[in-house]
Amino acid sequence: MKIETNRRLKISILRFDPHVKGDKPRMETYEIEEAPGMTLFIALNDIRQHHDASLKFDFVCRAGICGSCAMIINGKPDLACRTLTKKLPGEITLAPLPVFELIGDLSVFTGNWMRGLNERLEAWIHEEESEFNFNLLEEPMEPELADEIYELDRCIECGCCVAGCGTIQMREEFVGAVGLNKIARYQLDPRDKRSDKDYYDLIGDEDGVFGCMTLLGCEDVCPKNLPLQSKIAYLRRKMLTIGMKDKSGCGC
Amino acid sequence: MKIIYTDILVIGGGLAGLRTATGVKSRGHDVIVLSLVPPKRSHSAAAQGGMQASLANSFMGQGDNEDIHFEDTIKGSDWGADQKVVRMFVNTAPKAIRELTHWGVPWSRVKQGDHQAIINTKKVTITEQDNAHGLITARDFGGTKKWRTCYTSDGTGHSMLYAMDNKAHEQKIDVRERMEAVALIHENKRCYGAIVRNLMTGELSAFVAKATTIATGGYGRIYSVSTNAVICEGMGQAIALETGIATLGNMEAIQFHPTAIVPVGILTTEGCRGDGGVLRDVDGYRFMPDYEPQKKDLASRDVVSRRMIEHLRKGKGVSSRYGDHLWLDITLLGRKHIEKNLREVKEICESFLGIDPAKEWIPVRPTQHYSMGGIRTNYTGESQTLKGLYACGEAACWDIHGFNRLGGNSVSETVVSGMLAAEYIADFCDKAESSVDVNSNTIGSFLQQEKDKIEFLLNNENGEDAYELRQSMEQIMMDKVGIFRNGTELEHAVNELKALLLRSNNIEVKRSKSRAANPALVNAYRTQRMLKIALTAAYGALLRTESRGAHSREDYPERNDEEWLKRTIMSWPDPDSDVPVVSYEQLDIKSMELPPGFRGYGKDMTIQHPDSEIRREEIKKCLSNAREQGMDRFKVQAELMAYEDLLPEKYRGKNERLVEPLATRPSRKS
Amino acid sequence: MRHDREHKSVAAYLCGYISHMPARLDFLQSMTGLILALFIAAHLLFEASIIISKDAMYAVTRLFEGYYFFGESYPGIISFLAAAIFLLFILHAMLAIRKFPSSYRQYQLFMSHMQHIEHGDTRLWFYQAITGFMMFFLGSVHLYIMMTQSSDIGPYASADRIYSDWMWPLYLLLLICVILHAAIGLYRLALKWGIFEGARPKQRRKLLRKLMFITLFVYLGISLMSLGTYMVIGYQHSDRAGERFILSNEQPAEVQP
Repeated sequence: MKIETNRRLKISILRFDPHVKGDKPRMETYEIEEAPGMTLFIALNDIRQHHDASLKFDFVCRAGICGSCAMIINGKPDLACRTLTKKLPGEITLAPLPVFELIGDLSVFTGNWMRGLNERLEAWIHEEESEFNFNLLEEPMEPELADEIYELDRCIECGCCVAGCGTIQMREEFVGAVGLNKIARYQLDPRDKRSDKDYYDLIGDEDGVFGCMTLLGCEDVCPKNLPLQSKIAYLRRKMLTIGMKDKSGCGC
Repeated sequence: MKIIYTDILVIGGGLAGLRTATGVKSRGHDVIVLSLVPPKRSHSAAAQGGMQASLANSFMGQGDNEDIHFEDTIKGSDWGADQKVVRMFVNTAPKAIRELTHWGVPWSRVKQGDHQAIINTKKVTITEQDNAHGLITARDFGGTKKWRTCYTSDGTGHSMLYAMDNKAHEQKIDVRERMEAVALIHENKRCYGAIVRNLMTGELSAFVAKATTIATGGYGRIYSVSTNAVICEGMGQAIALETGIATLGNMEAIQFHPTAIVPVGILTTEGCRGDGGVLRDVDGYRFMPDYEPQKKDLASRDVVSRRMIEHLRKGKGVSSRYGDHLWLDITLLGRKHIEKNLREVKEICESFLGIDPAKEWIPVRPTQHYSMGGIRTNYTGESQTLKGLYACGEAACWDIHGFNRLGGNSVSETVVSGMLAAEYIADFCDKAESSVDVNSNTIGSFLQQEKDKIEFLLNNENGEDAYELRQSMEQIMMDKVGIFRNGTELEHAVNELKALLLRSNNIEVKRSKSRAANPALVNAYRTQRMLKIALTAAYGALLRTESRGAHSREDYPERNDEEWLKRTIMSWPDPDSDVPVVSYEQLDIKSMELPPGFRGYGKDMTIQHPDSEIRREEIKKCLSNAREQGMDRFKVQAELMAYEDLLPEKYRGKNERLVEPLATRPSRKS
Repeated sequence: MRHDREHKSVAAYLCGYISHMPARLDFLQSMTGLILALFIAAHLLFEASIIISKDAMYAVTRLFEGYYFFGESYPGIISFLAAAIFLLFILHAMLAIRKFPSSYRQYQLFMSHMQHIEHGDTRLWFYQAITGFMMFFLGSVHLYIMMTQSSDIGPYASADRIYSDWMWPLYLLLLICVILHAAIGLYRLALKWGIFEGARPKQRRKLLRKLMFITLFVYLGISLMSLGTYMVIGYQHSDRAGERFILSNEQPAEVQP
């Protein structure tokens, strides 16, 4: 086997702890030796263990499944755990996701933001009032439809699309691709009894689908490769038909 | 002193915790869920392959029912499970999956007509029935007689957790994220909540509740390589253990999954083999049929993992810079199947290995995966020794898994145990005896104790580095408490862990002194607790001089029903002691529906218990009697081992299947 | 909490919760944009007839003045067309301004986002916004002149305006702005509404992006060439600025030099 000399990686991290009085955002650079198969998960733990024990970052599944570790990696929002260092240049810059509340360093509070979004969009199945009996056979669903719903259900709420969205930077009320994707998912699901008009109530304004400026940052950074552009366009068309035909509303 | 009162405190926001919370909330109780991470990031999300429930919709699942699911589970557990609890479980699993469907899990569905499947490396055409079209389908998993594992592609846990968390949002359940329970508040053998640390601000507060539920998952991270998420550090079990009253059961029962990728230990689902993938060695040879001609690659997980290690020891491994490994070959499934039903696996292979699994083989090795052991409870989920403390999911030893869990039974257990525990907890909270009469001084002293511990860790000088201790522990567990165990190594392990535990009393948080968000501080206090958990596992393994399920002793290769048909029970009453107090809970063969027998793998090496034969005879008689009387399978089952009265009333009903329609059903539109 | 919508002010209640305007405004913005872009696409091509010959350009001018329909030129038609386009232009600007950063803070946030995130389409939008903003002024001047001096269109009249009347810097800028704005706008329009997305939207987007760049450069090339041609004519004609063009076959023989 060929003997390879490992690279020295220069990892610059945007450090700031809002809980420490007088702390100011600053870049700090750490030098570590690259190991074969090294991911940013391994690299950051290495830094924490050997260079700076106070470095804050979030990992949970470290397998690209849970969405905890989204950060800005050399200018692109992505999941750190599954980013192999060998795919990056020797100088790596890491920054926390914008928009979300900063906990410290690379750690952000996506949880409360996503929960707020879910509550705002009522992102759950709305059923008709009826007796549900779990002893009986489940309602059948077309296999293709189930697959299609799962396709959108694959969102892991990592926040990459929010970080990649220029619109939401300016207008923090905007629901973002993560929110619109949720609506698209429920709109598709026959178990959710909401009508298109109900969805219009939720996203038929400029904080919703009509606020999207089609910058497509979301589509291009989504680590799960969700069809965000296509689904937002679909919703825009659907919501337009509601907006066009209904005469109610004061229009102010 | 900040005290928050609620009816039920749930520690852990994964499937089990959230299901408990929604359950008690529906019964009208107040609930607060504490979670280290946003609930949707819990390790439940990582369950890929599926959830077992005997729906019998798909062609290969036809004829399945609770009885077969029960039998598979008991055999899988190597007779370590609590049979009544397993009965409760298999009867509730179909209800759980249907409820989840109602809450929005898409599930992959049966498509009528022909489809191709790979069985034993051969292409087989399966014809699905028309009346099953659109119902939930299932795939094959290890150690099951029928195709019973229901799935949503290979993101089953993810889709379940999302539906569950969304339900929690609908119910406006109060979830506190990034909160860690660091101690349980208890007095007079009664649990009253927990001392909780805010991981963002460092603030300590007391959450006082009538009932406290631990649903924190497993303790896989005591090993250096594990498929578990990094938060699976056994903190739930540890704080229960630290009460000195609550007990842990079967901590030595640790499952190794056959197919985690090398070197990082990320799981590739059992669905890979369930769907037709096979294991290969350095020569590309499919070796499993040589060892297990019957079940081949789909033997129980413990069996496959052991066979793989045996094969590696024969020098048949592929050597790599990370040690030897074997291959998982799913190329024979075809790209279309992989991209539809194994897409997470594909993504993992691409991101972490840089390979395309539709073209190349995946390097795999058995890796720590699941903790069968946990907080010992009775069938209601309540601790047997500390009243008001409940546990469910992987955190508990409720005991449906015994010494080896079947694939697909874990997510199933999370939801089912949550459903059932919620009812019992709600029943308890409805009663007057649940009232909180804890002295506020008691709460204060628990709070002070945790404050002091943290201050000590931060202010200690010339102390130990927690990272070093932790690494040593992880390595000891890897090297000496692995798949194959022996007395000498286990003894070393226990001694070394004891020494580490002693040193851990002198940990100093180095280079990071913040009292707010401080990962080094978190690592310090968790390492102390993890060492105790590691000790219970290693010590339990040392004492158990037999091989049962995943616990495999080279020096005691036989399953010894005569002496060891019992659960290891541990508590830690003396905080200054360096070992837990051990006792055993005997399993009663005479009340078993399925008395201990041969599992069907390898050579039968069981040392039989005399009661087993007696019970078998009894059952034979009972069965022939029942046949004469023309009893249906439910009556027969009740004759053998009545359990239904243990279930909460709402979950006692029969489950409908295509071949077992329920009379009460209003006409079904087709 | 940014998602908190439970606490509404009295205005929100008076308005009713839903308004159908956002849908209509969004659609209107897209439609006006589409019409303007198609208009520009044609306009620039007609304009480019000067590259072929002065006669060709004159013929096109007369076509729009109705000469071939009525046998006589009516520059009023151009005035009317310009006014209509001006209206559309104003409407489109009003609608599009909703998307602009509405405060310095928003502008700053967007700029910092664009600088930190490497993302082509975000940058494209920014170019669109900047060119849009510039056209508030450039476009207005041009349209106003077309409305008020619609008779001054022709190979010499236009060339004189461009060269001798010092309009060329404005036209050069306007040209670049309008082409960038329209090409990017059409691309975005297709993605925004999901038209032409086909069965594989991700691949289709790549194709659309390529088409957008091709269109952009082809139009820039043609238009710069035609502007250059006007410049040359204007320069050559500068001593006789103001004199009108006469078709080569209609010129009286004695005038020929």
